[in-house]
Amino acid sequence: MSEARRVLRQALAIGALGLIAAAAVHFPLIKRFARGEFKESFFQAAEYPGVRMITLAEAEDLWAAGEALVLDARAGSFFAQGHVPRARNIPAAGSGDALSREILDRPRDMTIVVYCEGGACQSSLALAKRLHDEGFKDIRVFSGGWEEWTKAGLPEEKGDGQE
Amino acid sequence: MVRNKTVLLAFRLVLGGLFVYAGAVKVLDPLDFAQNIRNYDLVGQSLSLIAAVVLPWLEILSGLFLIAGVWKRGAALVISGLLVFFVVLTVVTMIRGLDVDCGCFGALSRKAGWSVILEDLAMLYLGMCLLFQKRRTSP
Repeated sequence: MSEARRVLRQALAIGALGLIAAAAVHFPLIKRFARGEFKESFFQAAEYPGVRMITLAEAEDLWAAGEALVLDARAGSFFAQGHVPRARNIPAAGSGDALSREILDRPRDMTIVVYCEGGACQSSLALAKRLHDEGFKDIRVFSGGWEEWTKAGLPEEKGDGQE
Repeated sequence: MVRNKTVLLAFRLVLGGLFVYAGAVKVLDPLDFAQNIRNYDLVGQSLSLIAAVVLPWLEILSGLFLIAGVWKRGAALVISGLLVFFVVLTVVTMIRGLDVDCGCFGALSRKAGWSVILEDLAMLYLGMCLLFQKRRTSP
């Protein structure tokens, strides 16, 4: 019994040391968080110069003009139930194999609109970061996402989008 | 359970090394790791950031203690606890049908799925061997 307590005490001590090290090393980050940064996302715009957030109106204009590539970052099952017409499905909160040649062969200066479910969904931003890392220079994150698109009564398409 | 001292030493070095590496890559980019945690869609912004700041240090310190052979069973307990948590988290994520990066080894991370579970279970086996090894008795 005392041996088990000794092991537990060691583990708790390691936990306490972890807390101290974390607080000491990341103090500046914690201060930034306390000041209100990162309340919406952990995205740092300065690190991703080609990525910017857009509203429903901008997303609709870009979609209607038909020149932007629209990417849906939700899981395939959600995409099949309904998505923005002509959108491609890149279910991507980050699994490495999701960016196909079909995307990677596109010119790096083309406009790409990414969206996910809306609300607090994170996968469109994750996809935007990956596109940025692949060299794409004009990535617009439609943060209102699918929720806002359908609420506005905009056109929908069903199916998996694979012609 | 393995009892051979040399094998247990190898387990300590391998498991400790893996955890130090996993923690170090996360400490270098805490916001990226916070986003990884957030992507699991289980906790909000604040808890994601707190976990992203604290978890890597737990990994690093327990890994270092394991390698150094100091408080090694306590370190094995922390590591085993973390691994059980990671396995449960990955299973829940798969059941929910989410496609998320596991966030486990920085750039070497991949989709949270079966391979991550198997890897975690293999490490958990090493952790359990170290946790339940016989205590050396004084002569």
